[in-house]
Amino acid sequence: MIDCDVHIEIGDPEDVLAYVEPVQRDWFRVQAQRLGLPGYPWAHPDSFFRHDLEYEPGRFPGSTVAEVRRDVLDALGADVGILNSDEAVYLSLMANPYRAAELAGAHNRWLQERWLDEEPRLRGAILCTAQDPVAAAAEIRRAAQDERFVHVLLLGGAERPYGEPRYLPIFEAAAECGLPVAIHSGGEGMGIAAPSGGAGLPTFYIEWHTLGSSGSIMAHLVSLLVNGVFERLPTLKVLLLEGGIAWLPGILWRLDTNWRALRFDTPWLDRKPSEVARDHIKFTTQPLEHTDGHDELLFQMLAAAGAPDILCFASDYPHWDFDDPAFMLDRLPEEWRDGVMHGNAATLYGSRLGLVSA
Amino acid sequence: VSEWAGVGDVSTLEREGRIVARIGGRAIGVVLAPDGTPRALRNRCPHHGAPLCLGVVQERVAADLVGSYRLTGEPILRCPWHGWEFDLESGRCVEEPSLRVAVYPVKVEDGRIFVRA
Repeated sequence: MIDCDVHIEIGDPEDVLAYVEPVQRDWFRVQAQRLGLPGYPWAHPDSFFRHDLEYEPGRFPGSTVAEVRRDVLDALGADVGILNSDEAVYLSLMANPYRAAELAGAHNRWLQERWLDEEPRLRGAILCTAQDPVAAAAEIRRAAQDERFVHVLLLGGAERPYGEPRYLPIFEAAAECGLPVAIHSGGEGMGIAAPSGGAGLPTFYIEWHTLGSSGSIMAHLVSLLVNGVFERLPTLKVLLLEGGIAWLPGILWRLDTNWRALRFDTPWLDRKPSEVARDHIKFTTQPLEHTDGHDELLFQMLAAAGAPDILCFASDYPHWDFDDPAFMLDRLPEEWRDGVMHGNAATLYGSRLGLVSA
Repeated sequence: VSEWAGVGDVSTLEREGRIVARIGGRAIGVVLAPDGTPRALRNRCPHHGAPLCLGVVQERVAADLVGSYRLTGEPILRCPWHGWEFDLESGRCVEEPSLRVAVYPVKVEDGRIFVRA
């Protein structure tokens, strides 16, 4: 099993600051929020984390390699866990792109030495400055030389949807390095990000968790497709994480319908956007929508969007809405199981995962 | 073999942009292609039944690169209801080639338009 979405936390900010150049460390220390990273307008009303996890007092769960080894690799039977840093990823929403770039580089080196060096079953996500795509591209090319980095991680929260040409250097660098770009929900309405949804900032965490996190993923998907990013970069793959997926057939049907009517405005799209999506887009499972007994309907709809070949398992450890792989296996149609739990991610990541002896 | 049927004058087509006539019980539309030639087709969209000839006639737009636009010279008619485009040469829907509208031969004699439908 490959777990495409394991979140890790920064236990002690000084651990990461050790990788920041000395002259800049105090800037990060004196910021009102940890390391200058923007926070949510609404926190989870209880805890973002599973309550059953054991962790070091004063830290978040998922702050040590030992915990991830115990709770994900061993407990869930993951052959590979891909580490998508939870807190640090918000650096792409910092107002200051220079400090953000320093933090991104420091984070990636911290990840290499403090995590990937410690456990051969772990793989890393490259953090980068979406607010400065040229700097991001340089960091991607640097970090990608380490084969243990398997994708570039962007946030759902963004200034503009990622199909915008300003973001091209990020996608070009990723494609050049043979890395997928992973876009993970989160950060909508935080820092310099646009408000989530089209109706202004929501009131409650439950609204964000229902709409904000899926809306941004939908927006990035449609933007990447209509801006012809995959026509420009035919080898590029994009993985969409934690934005749900039940909406995918509807969005693609809607987009295809509009494409038929409006193709002359985006004439570089010479085939249906849904066909392009099938060739270039993957999704993670968590949170696969609960259907109140209508799973059959859900899987029928998802099959129409090509889901058996595009869905990749993710647990979302250590978050409260975590999916257990055993529970997921029970829900999945039998003929989907191998692909979703292993094969689709293995195809997506190729040799960068092949280094692991399962 | 059906006969040539007169549907109107070139001057009317140039003034109005389209002529709708009935030939053998079918509504036939004649539109003026961007190159100035009259084109005849069935006035019923195979998608939803819209009066097709009331749509926009222009050259098909294509792109060599993302963000660029060029005219291909191929005349198309864009349906007035949902904007689906039909190639005026073949009658095929550009975006959904499984759909096709009937197109008919047209000739002009002494300023009169004739269609064989």
